[in-house]
Amino acid sequence: MSDMSTDKTTDKTDANVDQKLKEAYFTASQGQLIWTRFKRNRSAMAGAIVLLALILSGLFAPFLTPYNPTIAGRDKGYENGAPQIPKFWDENGFSIVPFIYTSERQRSIKTNFRWVTTINREKRRFMTFLPHGDPYTLFGLHFDRHLFGVDKGKIHLFGTDFAGKDIFSRTFHAINTSMAVGTIGVLIAFVMALIIGGVSGYYGGWIDSVLQMITDAIRTVPAIPLFMALAAFIPDTWSSEMRFFFISIILGFIGWPTLARRVRTHLLSERNQEYVLAAQLCGASASHIIRKHLLPSFTSYIIVDLVISFPYMVLSETALSFIGLGLKDPVNSLGVMLQNVTKADVLLNYQWYFIPVIFFITLVLAFVFVGDGLRDAADPYSDSKT
Amino acid sequence: MLQFMRFVAVRAVMAMVTLVIVSFIVFSLMELVPGDCAERYVAFKNTQGSQITVADIQAERVLLGLDKPFLTRWVKWITHAFEGDFGESCILRLNISRLLGEKFWISLGICLTSLLAAYAVALPVGIISATSNNKTLNNTLRLVSYLGLALPNFLLALMVMLFSTVMFGNSLTGLFSPEYRDAAWSWARGVDFLSHAWLPIFILGWSATAFAIQTVRALMSDEIGKLYVTAARARGVSGRRLLWRYPARHALGPIINSLGFDLNRIFNELPVVALILTLTEAGSLLIEALARSNDQQLAGAIIFLLTASIVALNFFTDILLALTDPRVRRSIMG
Repeated sequence: MSDMSTDKTTDKTDANVDQKLKEAYFTASQGQLIWTRFKRNRSAMAGAIVLLALILSGLFAPFLTPYNPTIAGRDKGYENGAPQIPKFWDENGFSIVPFIYTSERQRSIKTNFRWVTTINREKRRFMTFLPHGDPYTLFGLHFDRHLFGVDKGKIHLFGTDFAGKDIFSRTFHAINTSMAVGTIGVLIAFVMALIIGGVSGYYGGWIDSVLQMITDAIRTVPAIPLFMALAAFIPDTWSSEMRFFFISIILGFIGWPTLARRVRTHLLSERNQEYVLAAQLCGASASHIIRKHLLPSFTSYIIVDLVISFPYMVLSETALSFIGLGLKDPVNSLGVMLQNVTKADVLLNYQWYFIPVIFFITLVLAFVFVGDGLRDAADPYSDSKT
Repeated sequence: MLQFMRFVAVRAVMAMVTLVIVSFIVFSLMELVPGDCAERYVAFKNTQGSQITVADIQAERVLLGLDKPFLTRWVKWITHAFEGDFGESCILRLNISRLLGEKFWISLGICLTSLLAAYAVALPVGIISATSNNKTLNNTLRLVSYLGLALPNFLLALMVMLFSTVMFGNSLTGLFSPEYRDAAWSWARGVDFLSHAWLPIFILGWSATAFAIQTVRALMSDEIGKLYVTAARARGVSGRRLLWRYPARHALGPIINSLGFDLNRIFNELPVVALILTLTEAGSLLIEALARSNDQQLAGAIIFLLTASIVALNFFTDILLALTDPRVRRSIMG
């Protein structure tokens, strides 16, 4: 008997919980639903966490990294230097504070008058935390403290390049640059896609046909060769900031055709709905209807598309900079850092030039995971599929 | 048959219109580049030591026909372009068709081969992964296709170079051994070419394969759940026969349709990969023309040719689709 009664009560509470869940489900906003579905996707969540970490470390790069990434922060005594890995112990004993060895360079008749770097394991240099260093500006404020440093000389976790610039510092600043280029590019692509796709989808008819023809023609031209042609316009006299903005704008021009097509297809099917007719009868203007009634109906799709197109922007910028048509020193980006790596000298002797690649593959992968997760989460039918 | 001919004709006209629009875009871009061919050539001559004046530039402009209005020149360019004549390169003063000739066909050959290779791998793998419930297999494939996205071809090329240099002391670059570089085509040169070409084909096909596997897999898993497959299974068809005769045929349509865009994607990667692997073909010539010598005539011709081959491929896939897919055929025949 008693068993049965407990069964009943649990049944009741189960039903209650069920009811509550259902209520929550039906009253949830679109955003809440997407978030719930997104949270369930483990790879997407992992991607989101990694992505957030990378973006933050890009934003706070000046603090997290010990040196100025430009030529101003170079280490004159350690060009093409190997990565220095902090240690806690070696054959000479333990240390609470991690340390690195001192490298000494000498040139004499013994070394045939070439610079030869030797590592002196006896001379330890200890890491310091929150030391004063190169001044930098973060969110409009001036600082000169960095997360870590070393008591004598300089520390290079990822080694240095041919000019003695710290690759660790450059990598994190490059993440920042790539994110900025991607954001501007995506925004421009987004605005263009909204205008062109919106006009084409809302008006339909011959305007649509003409716009579609042009969009399709642009879509057939291979984008990167086209960018290269556009980027070749940049006169050598431009400052690196001007180049940066111009490259971002060019990148915006690749992204729009695909997105414009999406916007158009959606508008074509939505514009015959009754709520549009109602708005039209109330005397609303075309732009008002597009902005206030049609666009909100598929905001989630647009956001997903933007996230998915982001890595392409980053990679295009990398490709452009790599061949020397994109960004240039002193602006840092992965492409800029990879500019000289195809030389046999680098391939054979200085493999640490390739360390930043790992970070960028991680960045792009994180974006892809998040984009895929968002796409599944934003699809209202994804639940029934599983 | 008549309707089919009409369909082909309509498609051909549409392809032409696309090409004309593209040529207009490319030509306008070439015009917008600061400085024109005459200035550039005369400036080049100046570096060679001859004295030049403004009058020289003007004379050069008249000689090249650059004094005529924009539209006239465009019409002239496009009509000649359809005949395969792109005029002369700005700096080198060589006929572009002759300069490009063989190099363009090599590029196209490499790209098409990698496209074919991509689908040769992707079709069976995609179909198998869509039908099997093997978790490890599916997860591995997912990872590979994500990597195809995150490790773009040029980074892959860099990694392969790094690896082969460190491991074998040979960077595996170039398209020909030195002794065959300028030789005429012969059996030995062909073999030499093939022994070098597999690497660019592999690298260019890398992302394409990853994309293709994803596409094939998505299409197949959409089709497999449909009622006609269940019906076929109920009639006793099973195994490979069922897969190939029913869902695979449905999935093939969209794949054929998207071949043009796959080629587009491969062309996207071509110049940078060509630069890294020091291939002597059209892609690296494009970089040469854009980044080093600012030769807008040459660059325009290459971009136009690349686009033209995509448009041509799109045209052929449309026809192919009409031939292979009874649904499309019926809609054409009315």
